[in-house]
Amino acid sequence: MTATDLPRLGLGIGWRAEIDLTVERLPGVEFVEVIAENVRPARLPESLRVLRGRGIPVVPHGVGLGVGGAEPPSPERLAHLAACAEALGSPLVSEHLAFVRAGGVEAGHLLPVPRTREALDVVTENVRRAQDALPVPLALENVAALFGWPDDELTDAEFLAELVERTGVLLLVDVANLYTNQVNLGLSAVEALNRLPLTSLAYVHVAGGEEHGGLWHDTHAASVPDRILDVLAELCARVTPPGVLLEWDDAYPSDSALAAELARVSAAMARHAA
Amino acid sequence: MTLGDARARLARRQEQVVAALVAGGEVPEGFDARRLRVQARSLIAKRRGVVARLRPDAAAAAYPDLVELFAAYAAERTEPPPSYRADANDFADWLRRQGRMRSDVREPWWRRLVRARR
Repeated sequence: MTATDLPRLGLGIGWRAEIDLTVERLPGVEFVEVIAENVRPARLPESLRVLRGRGIPVVPHGVGLGVGGAEPPSPERLAHLAACAEALGSPLVSEHLAFVRAGGVEAGHLLPVPRTREALDVVTENVRRAQDALPVPLALENVAALFGWPDDELTDAEFLAELVERTGVLLLVDVANLYTNQVNLGLSAVEALNRLPLTSLAYVHVAGGEEHGGLWHDTHAASVPDRILDVLAELCARVTPPGVLLEWDDAYPSDSALAAELARVSAAMARHAA
Repeated sequence: MTLGDARARLARRQEQVVAALVAGGEVPEGFDARRLRVQARSLIAKRRGVVARLRPDAAAAAYPDLVELFAAYAAERTEPPPSYRADANDFADWLRRQGRMRSDVREPWWRRLVRARR
């Protein structure tokens, strides 16, 4: 499967219950994402039904599968993602290249996988199982990390490129996470864009964060800094992404501030578009 | 080496990392201890935000020391919370034991219903 088979998604924003009416009203929103763990397919929030009624695609975005974990992905969690995609008529489902629990203990966060050949074999098998259980294509997102593993042998981009090659999984490239890993791990964002197979790009995430003590925290609760919009512009110089979605998860600003933020994202996409 | 071996080895190492981050476990060999501390603190900040949304009464009772009080509560808890909801209720109970929250406040009538439905 290549990205060319995917529909154009356009400009999007993460749908959250706290800003449901805002998302419905914001001009220029062409698609949304919903956190899969926060919805019940049999009882979809009214706001999502309104958006679907207008033909706005809704992408279930999972945060709890842990496809980078040592255990195979849970059939129940996969069934939930599949049911979300069916109920919402979604063109695809997205998740993260991360582990979220180990030994039955929840980490409460998306944690980076060791970027080793051995871990790659495990994750490849996990991704294949996930793909087999889903009725629509799966896209995997690169995560933001505060730490690396001592035995990392590949960059994040090399690991994902290999995974795409082996499984045909699509990419959800989070440019804020590329920037985070450049600051925190010294992995160049531009080099990552050069290495990632952008022909398999499903869509892009962009979000704001905060710097503390020389480290970037990807909080999704602040305006997107120009340095992250620069990474987005770099990506758009290489390929026309099928979609670009703004994530904002806390400390919600006014409707007009969110509209202005979407306009900044659009402008960055157009800066030197491919 | 089989995939089963790879899974077992990955499981052991990921368990060590999660234990260091959420259960006060030792920093596994080779990891940057400072970075894991930053990650652990960031996880506590995230929990604090969710807990404050789930139990605004507890967040209000802890005000203006929510950051310090939640950190103290989290440090005392070696067993990670099974859910955000349990975390929020445990934090409220912890505040009561600290005398920071009145224990004679009756819970809202609807909370019994919510509990009964779960």
